[in-house]
Amino acid sequence: MTAADRPVAGDGATPGPGGPPTAGPPGHRLHRLTPLALGGNVLGLVAAFLVFGTLDRGTGSSGQMSGGVAPGLIVAGVVALLLVGRGFIAWWTTEYRVEAGELRVDSGLLQRRAKRVRLDRLQSVDVLKPLAARVFGLAELRIATAGTERSSVRLRYLSLPVAEALRAELLGRSAGLGPGVAEAPERPLVVVPHGTLVASVLLQLLSWRLVFVLVGPVIIVVSATSGTGHHPAATGVAVAVLVSVLIVLARTIWRRTTTLWSFTVAESPDGLRIRHGLLSTSHQTVPLGRVQAIRAHQPTFWRPFGWAMVQINVAGYAGGREAHNTMLLPVAPREFADWLTGRVLGGVDLGAVSWSAPPHRAALRAPLWWRHQGVGSDEHVFYARHGVLSRTVEAVPHERTQSVRLKAGPWERALGLASLHLDSTRGPVRVAARFRDAAEARAMLDAQAERARRARRRAADARPPGPVVSP
Amino acid sequence: MRRAILAVVLLPAAGGAAAGVALTGGAPGWSVLLGAVVIGSAWAWYLVGRNWRSWAYTERQDDLLVVHGAMFRKLVVVPYGRMQLVDVEAGPVERLFDLVTVKLHTAAATTDARVCGLGPSDATALRDRLTALGEAHAAGL
Repeated sequence: MTAADRPVAGDGATPGPGGPPTAGPPGHRLHRLTPLALGGNVLGLVAAFLVFGTLDRGTGSSGQMSGGVAPGLIVAGVVALLLVGRGFIAWWTTEYRVEAGELRVDSGLLQRRAKRVRLDRLQSVDVLKPLAARVFGLAELRIATAGTERSSVRLRYLSLPVAEALRAELLGRSAGLGPGVAEAPERPLVVVPHGTLVASVLLQLLSWRLVFVLVGPVIIVVSATSGTGHHPAATGVAVAVLVSVLIVLARTIWRRTTTLWSFTVAESPDGLRIRHGLLSTSHQTVPLGRVQAIRAHQPTFWRPFGWAMVQINVAGYAGGREAHNTMLLPVAPREFADWLTGRVLGGVDLGAVSWSAPPHRAALRAPLWWRHQGVGSDEHVFYARHGVLSRTVEAVPHERTQSVRLKAGPWERALGLASLHLDSTRGPVRVAARFRDAAEARAMLDAQAERARRARRRAADARPPGPVVSP
Repeated sequence: MRRAILAVVLLPAAGGAAAGVALTGGAPGWSVLLGAVVIGSAWAWYLVGRNWRSWAYTERQDDLLVVHGAMFRKLVVVPYGRMQLVDVEAGPVERLFDLVTVKLHTAAATTDARVCGLGPSDATALRDRLTALGEAHAAGL
């Protein structure tokens, strides 16, 4: 299959392979400092131990103290050595090269692995700088393809200029520009101010759920301190709950703030460029055509400030720990978020969507929030919105809908209602038209299946399979 | 098949309740329990039948349509071009009754398209047709 592709995207069709790509000739190694960077976190720990150990001794506090530290130090040292050793093997055995239409990575000491990534299947390319690598001026290149986490390729570590050049080359080739293209120019769209980010993270955590969790313990503690409480055990439990919730909160705040720090969105011909991070930084490039679904979301307590965030589904970005990868914009004025959402969808105006509401009897199924459900669609995109206190607008282009589902529980069927779900790849966006009239939902399902079919056909006509090489 | 599972689960329950009635000489608590179990199993028997009848699938020109569920009705439309892979599975109980399940996967994890309770030959035929159609309609992501 790959062999058959090669002639199509061969260098012969390009202006000439004369100017070698900035990444150099084929068969590259990772950077020499890789082992150190891979063992970096633990090495840092060891260094910290050593420093504190000498400090202790320096101040002459106690010999016992350093005696207690020693076993931990030894363990950390051994772990660091092992990690560095593993890193060395990884460095020794890994080679990558960019060939005609694909990126090839050979790795493994005992079990050799050759991974090939077809560049026309590329979903996004990220340059990540974990703290340990950043110290050495290194960067990780992560290439996401459609599929699971396992099918993404990580090159750890390259020096920063090499990583950036390789990213430019991969994206250029993926867009059919041929090798040796310089990084496309970009137009900055927005930089999130630090103050706004911190405030938004705090306000987002201040949800009704948190209020419910905290209201009991707070009452107990307050009544105990004011002298009216007479349940020492209950007070103890309440304090424990408070402290643990606060610890979790602090951790979450710290993590979100540092990952989303100085969030920058820029626009370039090869896609949206996203940069963020305080200690570990990340630089993602998402081609616009790879956005599977998008949503503009306003948590409850953001609404007085008129803020909104924009999140996307991209194939290959799994959920869980990589959740920040799906963030397109952590906080911005709502108008801007709507504008960006429309822009990603290909220049639609979210304000102009005509929303249709579920029938009145849906109030029996969803008493308060049925009124705020709404769906709309146009030539290219299906929209859905929901939320009474928080507001969410979700959208998926017709050609990106995977499958369409109709669901109705017993109560909904008794009311003659049904919900329509448009499946997308894994991510925060789940588009659904809830509590519609059953017949209408069925009609919407058929219409959507038909629209998706037409959109797919159009897309297939517009973009012939295989990498396109511009003359 | 589900009726068989149901019988396996419910018979001991009914037996236990009946034993309770017999041992206590017809204490009202046990009698009520026995009645509940009997009524419950009759209802479940009926539901399982309805549920079984509710499974259906159609191969349309561009997509596969699967309907199932008596209480919770679900209808899934999977375009052939969106299918990433087709699984043919058989669990231990299914193997006992010589049945298999054909499962369709798309790039979306939420797609829940299964065709249950097919005979092995039907299932392989369906799988082959689906993969052929999937290749013919293949659209990227």
